Amino acid sequence: MIDIIFDSLTYLPVQRAVLASILCGIGCSVLSVFVVLMKMPLIGVSMSHAAFAGAVLGMILGVNPFISGLIMCMAAAALLGPLSDRTDMVPENILGIMFSFLMGIAFLGMGIITRTKADALNLMWGNMLTLTETDMWILLSATSSTILFILLFFKEIRLILFNRRLARSSGIPEKPIYYTLLFLTGVVVSSNLTTVGGLLIFALLVQPGATALQLTYNLKLFFIIAIASGVSSSISGLILSYVFDVPAGASIVIMATVIFTLSYIFSPKRRR
Amino acid sequence: MNRYIIEMDGITVIKAKNILLEGIDLYFSEGEFAGIIGPNGAGKTTLLNVIAGFERFKGRLSLFGQNQTRHRNINTMTRIGYVPQTLEVDRAFPIMAMEVVLTGCLGRTGLFHLPGKKEKARAEEIMDMLRIKDMAKKPFGRLSGGEQQKVILARAIIQEPHILLLDEPASNLDMAVQKEFMDLISDIHKKQGITILLVTHDFNLLPASMTRAILLKKGKIIFDGDIKTATSGEVLSRLFQYNLETFERNGKRFVSYD
Repeated sequence: MIDIIFDSLTYLPVQRAVLASILCGIGCSVLSVFVVLMKMPLIGVSMSHAAFAGAVLGMILGVNPFISGLIMCMAAAALLGPLSDRTDMVPENILGIMFSFLMGIAFLGMGIITRTKADALNLMWGNMLTLTETDMWILLSATSSTILFILLFFKEIRLILFNRRLARSSGIPEKPIYYTLLFLTGVVVSSNLTTVGGLLIFALLVQPGATALQLTYNLKLFFIIAIASGVSSSISGLILSYVFDVPAGASIVIMATVIFTLSYIFSPKRRR
Repeated sequence: MNRYIIEMDGITVIKAKNILLEGIDLYFSEGEFAGIIGPNGAGKTTLLNVIAGFERFKGRLSLFGQNQTRHRNINTMTRIGYVPQTLEVDRAFPIMAMEVVLTGCLGRTGLFHLPGKKEKARAEEIMDMLRIKDMAKKPFGRLSGGEQQKVILARAIIQEPHILLLDEPASNLDMAVQKEFMDLISDIHKKQGITILLVTHDFNLLPASMTRAILLKKGKIIFDGDIKTATSGEVLSRLFQYNLETFERNGKRFVSYD
């Protein structure tokens, strides 16, 4: 079996798939720290559905699905950001309405598409083996800009994740940093429509952070554990998909869940 | 010339057609230690939030001699320390007590600069003063409520604020810890001469060193003066619309039900 895997690595699509799953694992894991610690998994759901809906609309209009997905994500972020600042509304309800609305838009779009629906379905589940060079560059830039941002503003981000109000009262630019994080979530989600797809990416936006939450109190280590867990889910998922000939997105998400479950069972934090 | 550190003229806050504050005129001199007192829903927290920059308002607010809107510059923000009632922090949140204290320096050190040795030494000094030095390397989420509040207070002090805003900082603590916490605040006021505004609904928590009491009810000021008059049974009963009795012991006044 090892031979089969090593042989396959000589093919360009497989090489791309491996690199893409590493990038996808890193980008999503970094953002999952933010999604998990700010307790806003629903924002992750809405962003991924927005990207998906935007990409489907992009296909109908002949726009690059990454661009249209990103635009839709930004629209969602522009609505969700101020909403989460308000205290007189339960954001969960709005988020619930929004993500089902976005799903409706996406399926409407898929109904309208007259030519083959395979491309649209790929946006839902992703396809690691059909990635183009453009897809790879988009993925690389999205992931590296997210990493760079986190490295530069690590201490400010830590305080914002801890408590936004205290962050503001400390005199740091809380709003610009918070909104950049939302923006980067949109960028990473849209860039990964081609890899794991709009439906399944949500798992990777929660699982790595949730795994790290079981294991450490140190935020630097938290990021490292999240990335390690995200990348190992995507690589092991990719291998499983290759060996058993199943969709990569699905096997990645299943592996992510397995890793989380293990971390939960063996959590040193829970036992104390 | 009499310079006020905080000036409020006709401050009004309306949210979803509810008047939370109405035409508040208040002036605070440097070094004042004032209590903002009233029943639930009186607008105490809203008043504090206006000063802290968390709330939209109408009217004129001036801090350090400069007129303010809700949006503040970094210089103004770093001169205001803020301690909320409680922080809802996940027990598993990855941050140590010492790291929380050091976040108080972020505004002053600025972006791209890490807190250095000087800040760390100062953090240790303050944590020692508040008797939480042993907690420095413990996860914040695993501290007791009282310890957490002291960490948040330490965080506000390291900011070296000119104004310290405390929003019911002790209301979720048990009685012994409440007393200890309030004594610490009195101590800080005595030693550092910071202007302190303390919001509370509990009269028995007011430190003896407090110089002024402002009683709020339904968004309006109904009394502004010294603590002794404020805690007379007559004023209090008017405030809470309930017959309250006061008695004195060891020079401090206590409030009780009729």
